[in-house]
Amino acid sequence: MILPIGPIHPGLKEPLRLKLKTQGERVIDAEIDYGYVHRGIERIMEGKTWQKCIYLAERICGICSYEHTQTFAEVIEKISDVRAPVRAQLLRVITNELDRIQSHFLANSTYFKALEHETLFMYMLSLREHAMDAIEMLTGNRVNMGWNVIGGVRMDAKPAHLDQILQKLDMIEKDLDRYIEIFEQGPLTGLRSKDVGKMTRDQALKGRAVGPIGRASGLKHDLREEHHTYKDYLEFKPIWRKEGDNFARTMNRFNEIPQSVDLVRQAIRNLPEGDIRTQVDIGSGYAEWRNEAPRGEVTYMAETNGNLIKHISIRTPSIMNIESCAKYMLKDVATVSDAVATYASADPCIACAERVAIIDIEKGESSKDIFNLK
Amino acid sequence: MLNTLKDIVRKSSIHVCLINCGGCNGCDVEVVALLSPRYDLEQYGIYVHNNPREADVILITGAVTEQWIKKIKRIYAKAPEPKVVACIGNCPLSGDVFNQEGGNVHAPVSDFIPVDAEISGCPPRPSEILEAILAVAPGAIAARGREKE
Repeated sequence: MILPIGPIHPGLKEPLRLKLKTQGERVIDAEIDYGYVHRGIERIMEGKTWQKCIYLAERICGICSYEHTQTFAEVIEKISDVRAPVRAQLLRVITNELDRIQSHFLANSTYFKALEHETLFMYMLSLREHAMDAIEMLTGNRVNMGWNVIGGVRMDAKPAHLDQILQKLDMIEKDLDRYIEIFEQGPLTGLRSKDVGKMTRDQALKGRAVGPIGRASGLKHDLREEHHTYKDYLEFKPIWRKEGDNFARTMNRFNEIPQSVDLVRQAIRNLPEGDIRTQVDIGSGYAEWRNEAPRGEVTYMAETNGNLIKHISIRTPSIMNIESCAKYMLKDVATVSDAVATYASADPCIACAERVAIIDIEKGESSKDIFNLK
Repeated sequence: MLNTLKDIVRKSSIHVCLINCGGCNGCDVEVVALLSPRYDLEQYGIYVHNNPREADVILITGAVTEQWIKKIKRIYAKAPEPKVVACIGNCPLSGDVFNQEGGNVHAPVSDFIPVDAEISGCPPRPSEILEAILAVAPGAIAARGREKE
């Protein structure tokens, strides 16, 4: 039988329809329907200046909103052949890593909520507030910060801000080890997580899984290794695991949090004095830029004509991760509640995953079959 | 006597359904932050469970996209009386940045269902959302319950 879940459902936070094919309680196959939050951002961006587009880029996704503005700024900087000053680059790293910390806490809290482990859910959200405070201290807002501009960042950080950020990081670190231990060594959380929703390395390659989801299946790939700021000023090694199950994905995110804390500390230590913004004459041409968002690689392909954006194409990590979740992880899961937990462990973010909506004008409804268009 | 008792019960137990009808997720994240121990939504008797069939308050985020035009009306009809609708963020009020040429949104949401409270901001802070729900919901639910009787 087919069990539909969503778009509004107690188990889901975002609108999406999950169709589970079941035999008794066992889930044998899954299908996913998108299209509930398609807003047409790429189309709105065409023919506008970057000052307008950067706000639109920020509102592609509310959880990893920072990384979208950074990637957008860096793709325009690449077209114009300039680089932000070192101080601005390191300030970008600080905010990026703080954003990653809060996003990973949120992703793990959603997973624990799906496991019905209320205690860890509350612990995760409580630690996440420290990261949100640090972001607010630095940029002035909690979610949509509007902090990146082409050629640098909008506001400088004072030593008082940086001290408080370091204090917040200490508060996160103080409790984090204990919470990781609760999950790692708890017999029941292990029973619900280990060997559930398994994805092998080959399957992850075929499904184009990226970010922590790919790294938990043995794909040792992190785009931060190739980013110029990380290469030049910071020490960084990607974290990866072999198992490829729900446990590995959650632990991979957990283990990336102390690493991000360490990166923020390194960046604050190495922060030089100087400008935070350079003047940029927007060039014309085409460029492509990739960055590692909390969920995996974000790609921006943009074409400008010296002032306006002629064309832009955005590739976000969630679409690959959700597809590989439906194709490989949700094959032969023991129960429906495990299937919902597996879906949550893939850290889906629907708001960024919407690429295209095809509407049949005669019938007045949206069409699902892209390949059979007349 | 019975009415007073009903008022007290209606005011102190509010079930919330959150509907994202095409936004960036930012407001939804702030509602999730409300569940955290710092804000602790449940101490006010508010319970978020995302089930329209037993909701007293429907929270709406996001500008209405094509897929949601019919569904938003159906979900509103499913919620039992007395009910209150609160819009969170700029999207359901005006469409925010998406309501431009080329955009695929049909804001405001008040074209489709009646709206009782509006909380502007992109996104509003968790404390503002909490304040607005507490200011509007208990009184309105109790008053509507009496009207119906």
